[in-house]
Amino acid sequence: MIKEAIITDLQRIVGKENTLTSPEALKAYSYDGTTSWIEEPDVVVFPTSAKEISEIMKLANAEKIPVTPRGGGTNVSGGSVPIQKGIVLCTTKMNKVVRIDKENLSATVEPGVVLQDLTMMLMKEGLFFPPDPQSFLGATLGGIIAENAGGPACVKYGVTKQYILGIEVVLPTGEIVNLGGRTLKNVVGYDLLHIFISSEGTLGVITKAELKLRPLPQARKTTMVVYDDVSKAGEGVFRVLENGVIPNKIELLDNWVINRIEEMMPMGLPKDADAVLLFECDGIPEAVEKETEKIVEITKQFGAVDVRIAKDQAEADKYWLARRAGFAAVFGKAKTVMAEDVTVPRGKIPDLIKICKDLAKKHNVEIVVLGHAGDGNLHPAVLTDITNKEHYDRAVKAMDGIIEGAVELGGVLSGEHGIGLEKQKFFSKITDPVVVNMMKNIKKLFDPNNIMNPGKIWD
Amino acid sequence: MEDLKELKKVEQLADQCMKCGFCSFFCPVYQEDKIETSVARGKNYLVKQVLQGKQEFTDEMGTIIGKCLLCKRCVANCPSKTQIDRVVVAARAQMVKNKGLGFIKNFAFRKVMSNRKAFGRYVKMARAFQWMMPTTEGTIRHLPDFLKALGQGRNIPSMAKTFLRDQVKPVYKPANGQKAKMKVGFFMGCAMDFVFPDIGLKIIDVLTKHGVEVVVPEEQNCCGAAIYFSGDFETGRMLAEKNIKAFKDFDYVVTGCGTCSSTLKDYQKYLPDTEDQKKRYEEFEKKIKDSTEFLIDVLKIPPEEFKLKKEFEGKTATWHDPCHLVRYQNIKDQPRAILKALKGLKYVEMANADGCCGMGGSFSVYHYDLTKKIADKKMNGIKATGADIVVTACPGCMINLTDHILRSKMPQKVYHFLELVE
Repeated sequence: MIKEAIITDLQRIVGKENTLTSPEALKAYSYDGTTSWIEEPDVVVFPTSAKEISEIMKLANAEKIPVTPRGGGTNVSGGSVPIQKGIVLCTTKMNKVVRIDKENLSATVEPGVVLQDLTMMLMKEGLFFPPDPQSFLGATLGGIIAENAGGPACVKYGVTKQYILGIEVVLPTGEIVNLGGRTLKNVVGYDLLHIFISSEGTLGVITKAELKLRPLPQARKTTMVVYDDVSKAGEGVFRVLENGVIPNKIELLDNWVINRIEEMMPMGLPKDADAVLLFECDGIPEAVEKETEKIVEITKQFGAVDVRIAKDQAEADKYWLARRAGFAAVFGKAKTVMAEDVTVPRGKIPDLIKICKDLAKKHNVEIVVLGHAGDGNLHPAVLTDITNKEHYDRAVKAMDGIIEGAVELGGVLSGEHGIGLEKQKFFSKITDPVVVNMMKNIKKLFDPNNIMNPGKIWD
Repeated sequence: MEDLKELKKVEQLADQCMKCGFCSFFCPVYQEDKIETSVARGKNYLVKQVLQGKQEFTDEMGTIIGKCLLCKRCVANCPSKTQIDRVVVAARAQMVKNKGLGFIKNFAFRKVMSNRKAFGRYVKMARAFQWMMPTTEGTIRHLPDFLKALGQGRNIPSMAKTFLRDQVKPVYKPANGQKAKMKVGFFMGCAMDFVFPDIGLKIIDVLTKHGVEVVVPEEQNCCGAAIYFSGDFETGRMLAEKNIKAFKDFDYVVTGCGTCSSTLKDYQKYLPDTEDQKKRYEEFEKKIKDSTEFLIDVLKIPPEEFKLKKEFEGKTATWHDPCHLVRYQNIKDQPRAILKALKGLKYVEMANADGCCGMGGSFSVYHYDLTKKIADKKMNGIKATGADIVVTACPGCMINLTDHILRSKMPQKVYHFLELVE
């Protein structure tokens, strides 16, 4: 429990109305988008400027109080859960888009701006910010940068780190520093900017960011490709790419997911398909037409049993709605769902799918596969029930097997969710101790008293 | 252990939330205050804590579950289809049951007493609630007091000189000697009764013109929206019984108030305590038709048959979707079909047509500052259409929209859609 005097100090810094201490409010800031990590903070504060955050950090550093930064709380790693209690520093009230610079194709934003709000503002200007974590309705830019988030459009556009030109950040010791800048090229000394991207809030609080934008594509076209074998779908992904078409999205749904979606909202998905791939091409209209033709040709050549081009945006929207419903379909069907975001080099997708299938059989559990096949980032989900110990143990073994398998295929433990609390157990197992040590030393350099989101990434 | 009978009924619904947080984007309240206890995910989590015995019905809990417009935007957009409205209403009901109606006062005390202006509103509000106590005999006239309670500093329409109940005949035969194709019961609703009697008469007029015999049972009552959504299920059930009895002889019950039609339909969703009640409420639901859906879906009147009243010729209109029509009843196409077909009227769609106006019944009494901010977004949407008139089909929305149009010094007038037709 932190001292009453500290609360008074915090109230002085951010104002009484921006300091929450009621038991109910503390409960509401005890969780994120995960199911298993819960811890209540001692106090929640809503600063409205970098200066206020600097004062909070100086106070917390002097008193050695843990500070957990939080935006929309949509993350799925446990990253914004205040596992060592202390202060939750919530940036949701710093939500201004400071500037949209059409000449430089860039925007300056505060950390609490919700991605979808930004997207809608940019659309009016004919611009867009490509990283598209699927939590865009609630995720804030501060968290998106700190987690180096990504989504389906990664195939063509990459992830967050490719779109951050500079940040203003408050260090755990209270200094306000600017890293990077507003230019596309920048080689002035060490690239400290990128240490903060995917730091998961353990190095400082991002208080402003300069984003790189792109012109909004004029046309989009969606194609659904049906397979009678999920491994062939995996192959379809890299065949399309190696033949010269880079769609902006390639998403995979397996038979189980297709059928759950059809139960939830019948929309005519092929229920007997072993898997479908959803492709979306975007760009100038003529190029989009040509690319779509090429996708049809290549996928048919490599084992697709049916190809449907969405005839209009309404049909396309239907397919993408189905894709988004995929997760709800999975979560609605089991008491506990272990969903991971292992990522393998694209060519290894069929192997990873096979590993999942074998493990499901071996441990007698249901494993469903959906995900961003286009970038090798799959979300195998093991369905179980945490209250049924025997079943849950088997599910854990299956999940361990998936992660080991992915790493053996040259992949990584997390493609877009981050380590947080959720994946610590695997992180220490598969990461070189020398590398972990380097990370710890970097952390110590920025945060000598270990107050900034402590307890995350490593145990 | 506290009595949790009402809450237990929605436990499964509450369990559906997977904490993705997408509701935050759609919640008008969270969009303004950005605090987790305002959004569906936070409310749902706290209610689950109550169910698990880890949270009590504190005054703060009362404030939190009270601070919801029940606009159902979160429900409409929830990937796991969590019916948070039912969770919130059940929590209010449980709290009223365990703490008495006083809980409403309690949370008002903390929020309202510190503000002299708001306190004036509250005192009058409390009087309004006294009318609703289960001991009340006969007709419940809560709306006049309710409106007075809203009054302080707001632009509230005055009470009608003669209430609708004192103007209507018991039976209206079809116009021009037509043979009746159908006989329906007309449900007035308090707002039509006390504030907008002319609209009530207009609806009867339109129905009889289209060959419908309209009966207005005297024993009908308030639909119960403000009552059971505040958690007073006991009075809510009493009203349900009275209304079911009043309309037992009709196949259809038609009303021109979006909130009334949804409230009457939804007795079965929120109120049942016994299997028998559930069955009767479900039977009742089938009879209820909002005027918009009755004209288009039941009478199957082609939209182009409606004629625009002269005074509206050359005007530009935009439609505001009442929450109780668009999300509670999925009624959105029917009124638009009529408006678009009216010759001489230009129709412009509003970008945020289905956004809540910020009224939320008693929400606007306790949280008028939030109501203003939420309504401001609506006002911007109206301005952007360039419309002269705003058309809707819920008196609650009409009252609130008029308030904020006047406050924003905008020129638009607000109408019920049937006021536009001959």
